[in-house]
Amino acid sequence: MKKYLLLAVALVLVGAILVGCASEPTSVLDKIQKAGKVSVGTSADYPPYEYLDDAGNKTGFDIELMAEIARRMGVELEWVDMPFDSLVAAVAGGKLDMSISCFNYDEERDKIVDFSEAYYTTEDAFVVSSAFAGTITAPEDAANYKVGVQSGTVQDGWLTDNLVATGLLPEANLSRYERVDQAALDLANGRIEVLMGDYVPIQALVAQNPDLRVVYNGVLSTGPINIVLPDGDTALKAEVDRIIKELQAEGFIDQLAVKYFSE
Amino acid sequence: MDFGQFLSYIGSGTVLTVGVTLIALPAGLLIGTLLALLYVYGGKVAARIMNLYSTVFRGIPPVVLLFILFFAVSKGINLSAFWAGSLSLGVVSSAYQMEIVRGAVLSVSGDQLMAARAVGLSRMQAIRNVVLPQAVRLAIPPWSNEAAIVIKDSSLVYALGVPEILRRAQLIGASSRQYLLAYLSAAVIYFLLVSLTTRLLNHLEHKLSIPSNP
Repeated sequence: MKKYLLLAVALVLVGAILVGCASEPTSVLDKIQKAGKVSVGTSADYPPYEYLDDAGNKTGFDIELMAEIARRMGVELEWVDMPFDSLVAAVAGGKLDMSISCFNYDEERDKIVDFSEAYYTTEDAFVVSSAFAGTITAPEDAANYKVGVQSGTVQDGWLTDNLVATGLLPEANLSRYERVDQAALDLANGRIEVLMGDYVPIQALVAQNPDLRVVYNGVLSTGPINIVLPDGDTALKAEVDRIIKELQAEGFIDQLAVKYFSE
Repeated sequence: MDFGQFLSYIGSGTVLTVGVTLIALPAGLLIGTLLALLYVYGGKVAARIMNLYSTVFRGIPPVVLLFILFFAVSKGINLSAFWAGSLSLGVVSSAYQMEIVRGAVLSVSGDQLMAARAVGLSRMQAIRNVVLPQAVRLAIPPWSNEAAIVIKDSSLVYALGVPEILRRAQLIGASSRQYLLAYLSAAVIYFLLVSLTTRLLNHLEHKLSIPSNP
């Protein structure tokens, strides 16, 4: 499945380049203001950044932040839910005006879309189950165990570049999951010994599973998170960046972080 | 949350699952039947083209075609995720349905076509009134298999963000962290849909069967 998605993204890239040559340089910002609404993609399956509440409505750190950004742009906010893998292609293909879904800056992604200024900075963490008897004092120690990670994430990239490519971690000992919580299930079942993930959702996971504990946390791969914007659209980027800086200066984003990340 | 709530949240995606199927399956049947007739009766060149069509679309994973149509081709035309998904699945299914119909048409003895021509029917009349009615009956069992596959393949439109059964199961699974329950609910709904469809088609097969030709 993952391979097919990669192939699809490659084909989309080719398509985007072909179509991109012909398109005229009008800003998506004009389109948003004319329509009076902004169409924003998210993958609402990544608590606490974006998920559904008990009533089935989207909620979370990114969701509330985007609602405030749209309010300050003076336009209505239209959410489009899509799996994480599809979001960048949808912005590149003009299907969405922007995407917010705990995106990290990534050189590959930057070739087909743009990134806003970072609106928050997160850390990575290693989590184990209570049965774990080993020790992890430095991130490289994880290479001595069976490791799980969400496929296609920056953590996957960090593990692949720093542990697998260097020969520290045999490829067979790295399990890639479509979703973090599937990996958490395997961690509880003992199929993997260490799970690497984004520190904030990992904390939420640990809070819900008393059997799990964090053994290491620090900035390895993740760092800043940004909004994904159409490629080369400077007017839209300027507007979004302006609002992000405004919200940071007012302390709005820190308040949101406390609300969603300190469960 | 209990199983009932999961079922009702995920179940409300059934409308979209059924909708996608009801577009993809008939679209595939229409295209597939026309192409199958061209394949069998259209001469060597047509047969070669149809063979290529069948090979290409059976060789591409449906989800890849879905991405191409939604993200690359429909950049200019404003095709919604629902329609892009349904039509892609219809095209993929048409290749399989073409093979089903072709097989069924070829199973009707060629002598019948000759006999029909001999009593004065035109070629078109003979195909429409003699060959096709028998072929339809022969095609029902493999076609009900294809129907079940299209119902299940409709879950692929989740990749474009259509909130059908699978995507809703993922969403409620993530928010409640009860994945097993969420996917079990989805499995139950898919199972009911497929078994209901298969039963219906079995019934149809019996109703239409030719007594002398069991």
